[in-house]
Amino acid sequence: MKFRQNLKFGTSGVRGIVGESLTPRLTSALAAAFGRYVGVGRVLVGRDTRPSGEMFEHSVVAGLLSVGCQPVLLGVVPTPTLQLMVIEAKASGGIGITASHNPGEWNALKLIGRNGTFLDELEAGELFDVYNQNDFNPCRESELRTMWRMEDAFATHQKRIFANIDVEAIRKHRFKVAIDCCNGVGAVYSRAFLEELGCEVYAIHEEPSGVFERVPEPLPEHLGALCKLVRSKKCHIGFAQDPDGDRLSVVDDTGTALPTHYSLLMTADHVLGEHPGPIVANIQTSMNLEEIASTYGCEVAYAKVGEINVVGKMIEIGAEFGGEGNCGGVIWRRVTPGRDSFITMALLLEMLAMCRERVSDIVADLDHYSTMSVKFPCPPSTAREIVREMTSRYAERRLMTIDGLRINYNDGWALIRPSNTEPVLRLTVEALSQERTEAFIKRFEAELKELLDQFNQTP
Amino acid sequence: MRSFKLGNAGMRGVVGSGLTVERAIDFASAFGTMVDGGRVLVGQDTRSSSNMLYHAVVSALMGAGCRVCDAGIMPAGVIQFLIPRLEASGGLLIGGGHQAMGWNAAIPLASNGSYLNFIQLQELFDIYRSRQYRQAPWNGIQALEQIPDDSIDAYLDALCKTVNVKAIKKAGFTVVADFCNGSGSILADRLAARLGLKMIAINRIFSGVLPHEPEPRPRSAAQVQSVVGPLNAAAGFVFNSDVSRVSLVSDSGEALSEEYTAPLAVDYLLAKKPDTRVVTNICSSRSLDDVVARHGGELYKTRVGQAWAIDRMTELGARIACEGSGSLTTDAWIRGFDGFYVMALVLEYMAVSGKKLSELATEIPRYHIVKSSVRCQPSHAYTLIRNIARELKNEPKVSVIEEDGIRLDWEDGWISLRAASTESVIRMTSEARTREIAIDREFHMRGLIEKQVGGGA
Repeated sequence: MKFRQNLKFGTSGVRGIVGESLTPRLTSALAAAFGRYVGVGRVLVGRDTRPSGEMFEHSVVAGLLSVGCQPVLLGVVPTPTLQLMVIEAKASGGIGITASHNPGEWNALKLIGRNGTFLDELEAGELFDVYNQNDFNPCRESELRTMWRMEDAFATHQKRIFANIDVEAIRKHRFKVAIDCCNGVGAVYSRAFLEELGCEVYAIHEEPSGVFERVPEPLPEHLGALCKLVRSKKCHIGFAQDPDGDRLSVVDDTGTALPTHYSLLMTADHVLGEHPGPIVANIQTSMNLEEIASTYGCEVAYAKVGEINVVGKMIEIGAEFGGEGNCGGVIWRRVTPGRDSFITMALLLEMLAMCRERVSDIVADLDHYSTMSVKFPCPPSTAREIVREMTSRYAERRLMTIDGLRINYNDGWALIRPSNTEPVLRLTVEALSQERTEAFIKRFEAELKELLDQFNQTP
Repeated sequence: MRSFKLGNAGMRGVVGSGLTVERAIDFASAFGTMVDGGRVLVGQDTRSSSNMLYHAVVSALMGAGCRVCDAGIMPAGVIQFLIPRLEASGGLLIGGGHQAMGWNAAIPLASNGSYLNFIQLQELFDIYRSRQYRQAPWNGIQALEQIPDDSIDAYLDALCKTVNVKAIKKAGFTVVADFCNGSGSILADRLAARLGLKMIAINRIFSGVLPHEPEPRPRSAAQVQSVVGPLNAAAGFVFNSDVSRVSLVSDSGEALSEEYTAPLAVDYLLAKKPDTRVVTNICSSRSLDDVVARHGGELYKTRVGQAWAIDRMTELGARIACEGSGSLTTDAWIRGFDGFYVMALVLEYMAVSGKKLSELATEIPRYHIVKSSVRCQPSHAYTLIRNIARELKNEPKVSVIEEDGIRLDWEDGWISLRAASTESVIRMTSEARTREIAIDREFHMRGLIEKQVGGGA
């Protein structure tokens, strides 16, 4: 049988293909290790709608119980709800059973620490050490605790969102909103959430079956059905969620799916007006964010790709707002400690209510950067060598080296970064014009190819 | 002490050290593989570890692609009744039964509701040891189902059709029942209503803690014993935590040995229909031999354990299977031991005969039983028992049975030696007409064993 790598231990958790690498046995052992790692106590468990979710919920509960933890089941909830409730319930940690935007055959355990954020690289490393020790010192019967269920955790989340936005202003406009729930957690909560904001809601993929009728990553090219819905129902805006409700993409009132960056760009523009301050974005985020921030006199700090890296940087510099532009992830720590599609929707609606403009007009007012990306198959060790070599070649330029190599120009940037998930080296370029982007790509592609050839020749 | 055992009752062990979540998951995966992803009923008793093991086996069965049907906290007999009714491929029963706090077990059940027989069990253990389990793909995982709402009523309907409800109702008994905080109280009130009983139930709280030793026997009957008289009750019933075993307390307040439960019920069943075949295990009291002989029935003896007795009953077309531990079933009832059924039979006996339980008990021939154990490594136990059998060849006695360990029968009593399944000991049971003879034989036998153990065994 051909080898295929289908298990991934990382900072965002442990991800695998259901029944192949991700099994009840592995997940219960991991939950037991997590229970030991967080020092026993209360651990919240939530999941998305995937058909394997219920199975892993049982194995995680068994694993947590075995080391003396008290599992608290939230059922099907958005990942940001789970993160928020870890703080609210004063829990030792949380386990989210969701493979986020990955296809249905995948599932994962997302591991959340007591402050509601995912484990960072060091913490995840410590947890995996406990896991690999393979002896979690299971409790005797007399030391076991019992499982609890927490009903309607989302209500707390929603209350918290509504306390931080002008609900009345939104309600007055009675917006017509289309939403693509991707058969995920949004299918359970989004309609009621938007209706509570006075919206007239048109939803698709609204059955919470976990069998995704749309490609689960909310990229513009996958949102054809939503665009059509926005046009046919003459909606003010369209929203596309991923299965666990952390990311959001937007379709404007003309039925055009916007590049994923616009969720962060528009909410930043809106939030900074009222709450100016430093913001954090990952290294793949559009330069446009810096322009928007500068109009409010605010700085953008950069972090490695990955929610926990962005959040970590936010905590470090005391930023309240940030996100991951490239994947539609918006973080407003005033409300939730991670990416949250629900606060993103609420902020966008508040923005529409305040500025009385159409989404397409707001977008037209922004500068338009174009991005392009190419990937080169390449073993991780070679990828790192190439990044090193390029770093010394471009040493005199403005570089960012926190995650791969980003070479900054006045009107754009090029990012050369080994992928976290596949054995490839990725080149991403952004510039103000299409021609400029193509020129950048051409130039760096040639240079990288040449380097790759060199590395392949030397044994 | 050993803390883990794969045996007649499936997987058993001390929670945490022997019986872990990991092993329960593997075991349930093996069972899901054996039933090829069919429908599996899962039930549990009230122990605090049962819920943990329940979650473990449910996830493993779902992973194997099984349709898992959850019966929640439910007595063993109800689960065994429901499996064929729901046309399930089998069941997994989580519960420690008669074992002490801290222990638990996962008992696999066949499609007819019975324990797995020897062959099925070997197949299951082979799969378990191979670690090659059926794994459903992501879209082949089926959601958890609940048992139908009418399940308990269906069980009670069937039970009431099997016994003479009219007679029991007419008698209007007051009874005391001790559920040992186990699963029995889930349907106790409904059963009492059906049988027209005034039932005073004690130890009926699902606290996860057992109020006393869960093995039904005189010393765990103390609480029932102390209230039967003051409450003027006609009988007391002491159940284990999954209601598969029961011992009786008479109206006069006597806590009867659990060994008398089966003979009492058999006495009644054989009086109604003599000349039948009865199956019991090798270690059960001779009271049963006498009762069966009295009615001209035939008694067959098997190895110790529910699986053996019921399998032999099916094989022989016998009418009754029972064990001295206080358990019984018949071909008219389910393929498993059921304390509620035994309770109903005893009540029917009282009602139909018009006699008090204390009177009925006097009709059971009584013997004296001495139970003890000798420390011995399991690796030596079998050789040792064999050696002793050889040594005793020339003793004057009636017969030797080597079905399970060794049993020697004399005119006035018997003694059995077995290697225990969960501890490093040889268990001895000596029964005789008088206490002196029983103790004497036990003393003599202990001497023989200790000589062997001391002699380099």
